[in-house]
Amino acid sequence: MLDIKSLSASIDGKKILNGFNLKIKPGEVHAIMGPNGSGKSTLANVLTGKNGYEIKGQVLYQGKDLLDLPIEERAQKGLFMAFQYPLEIAGVNTNNFLKTSLNTIRKARGQKEVDSLDFLKLVKTKTKNLKIDEKILSRQLNVGFSGGEKKKNEILQMTILEPKLAILDETDSGLDIDALRIVSDGVNALRSKERSFLIITHYQRLLDYIKPDFVHVLVDGKIAKTGCGELAVELEKVGYEKMGANK
Amino acid sequence: MILNFDEFQKANQSGSELNNIRIKNLNIFKEKGFPSKREENWKYTDLKTILSNNLSTLEIPNNKRTSQYNSEWLLKDFKHNQIVLVNGDFVSSDFSFEDKEKIKIKPLKIVLNGEKDFEKIRDYFTDQQNSLTSLNHALVNDGIFLEIEDNYSFNKPLIIYNFFNKFSENKIINNKSFISLGKNSKLNLLEYYKAEDSIKYFNNTIHNYSIQKNAMLKKFSIDSNLDNSYGYHLTNVKSYSNSIFENFLFSSGSSFVKNEIHCNLLESFSSCFVNALMFLSNQQHHELKTNINHKNEHCKSSQLVKSVLLDKSNGTYQGKIYVTKDAQKTDGYQLSKALVLSENSAFNSKPELEIYADDVKCSHGSTTGNIDQNSIFYLMSRGLSKEQANKMLIEGFLNEAIETITEPNIQLLISKLFIDKINKTKFEINEH
Repeated sequence: MLDIKSLSASIDGKKILNGFNLKIKPGEVHAIMGPNGSGKSTLANVLTGKNGYEIKGQVLYQGKDLLDLPIEERAQKGLFMAFQYPLEIAGVNTNNFLKTSLNTIRKARGQKEVDSLDFLKLVKTKTKNLKIDEKILSRQLNVGFSGGEKKKNEILQMTILEPKLAILDETDSGLDIDALRIVSDGVNALRSKERSFLIITHYQRLLDYIKPDFVHVLVDGKIAKTGCGELAVELEKVGYEKMGANK
Repeated sequence: MILNFDEFQKANQSGSELNNIRIKNLNIFKEKGFPSKREENWKYTDLKTILSNNLSTLEIPNNKRTSQYNSEWLLKDFKHNQIVLVNGDFVSSDFSFEDKEKIKIKPLKIVLNGEKDFEKIRDYFTDQQNSLTSLNHALVNDGIFLEIEDNYSFNKPLIIYNFFNKFSENKIINNKSFISLGKNSKLNLLEYYKAEDSIKYFNNTIHNYSIQKNAMLKKFSIDSNLDNSYGYHLTNVKSYSNSIFENFLFSSGSSFVKNEIHCNLLESFSSCFVNALMFLSNQQHHELKTNINHKNEHCKSSQLVKSVLLDKSNGTYQGKIYVTKDAQKTDGYQLSKALVLSENSAFNSKPELEIYADDVKCSHGSTTGNIDQNSIFYLMSRGLSKEQANKMLIEGFLNEAIETITEPNIQLLISKLFIDKINKTKFEINEH
């Protein structure tokens, strides 16, 4: 699914990712943990295609070079990032946005566009499953949403777009326990043999709900340690500093 | 400009009183000429230069007037009363949805020619706002005279069609409208502009509205059809006790237009809301100037102006809120936000507050910027192309102005016209 080979990324001359390697197979769930400033969000941004980074190395996505693709083509080919800080977009209706997004992606994949009525049915089922208040659909995209609503909206988008590889950038931060449960249920419901996840988080708590196949510790722009779910529990006890010292 | 006034006088017989007014005002205009940037109110819009570059041989309409228009131009699927003006001349009116006993409608020409109702409008001819106002007093030949009795609410909106056919080519069209709403009455009014082909003309209009106690006038100006027209529209509003005036301006079609709106909150608890959407491309030049005069206690006013400028377009908003010393408990608000999306486009903003009362709440704000690139990234990460993302953000930005419209049917109509317009626009956006 994803093969990252010695990826380096710097911004304004400052190196953030430094020789990062990671392989994700279809159906796998990988968690990346790491202290502030270790490069977690940069990794998510670089994979999604955000401008402003000086990039070296190679990223293969479904066997093809990802880094050369424009942002929207990555999305159309099934890459999805749930933002750490979802943007507030004034004046843009949430429902219209979701529909435009789905239909643009479907069109790019050669699928038939979904009409307004079918879309409404789809989005209503999904919001119900995620215990999201339907009212957000008629509101402006993320404008005035609470932190939890914004994150749930990201998960709603993910379930509607049905990506092949979903990157969750600190989706758990700022969530209360109920919201965390809803977000995790959303992710777990999407888990399948074909779909992979890259879950970026600070805390082990989320990984109690979403059991990852692998846990990686990111320190100074590269993976310092890889393990199974147990590693997250260990990290919680000893802290990141120890891991950094271990490398 | 070619001033063939003798011929005009022959074609437009007016009483001796009006004739004297015409001559006096024509002389004022001759002395001053068109407004230029030497005047503070015109410093962002040098009309003298604009006209000498684009319409240097403007003529006063002769008497070979025509009044044909394409009936396709009338708005469909929207029940409404209508008045049709062609080249500024009153051509027809239809108030079939209303109780005609309650409405007095006349072509202004009749009022100008007869003595009977002239006394009702006489005082308006003393207004000397600028040289265009004087020119209008001198050359006005038609327009609208509409009186609505007390306690009458219109069942359907009134659309005033301002059509211009080939006759208007290279002409300066001067007209006026007088609309008065009696106590407790209500009217939704749409001014809709459309010109034939790409004819070039100058339309100089003065609208006078009087809104009596507890009455409500909602006015919507729709200038959405991209054309070659030049115009100056002055609106004077007199608001009496507890009345409401709402004005929405969709400023997007004309090559050049300056809208100037003066709201006079004369009695307590009256309110006025002026909101505008300016969406300009090519070499368009639009200005909106609002003057809100709080002259009594407990009055409320607010303005929201949202502008998007593409290509080589130029937009200006000058907004003044004036509060006299008697206008205690005034609530005034003003906000202008603009997106300047090309290096060759510009937006000027001049907010002014002048307050002489000591117990008021007034605020204003003005921002000019570019599209937020993080928002673009967010939308593109959901599969939208850059053009789609830009369009969605621009549409969303301007939608905030459309959302101020408090009449759902009219909001829908204007929203449709706006989407048509935005779908026809090519976005070439610089990222600074």
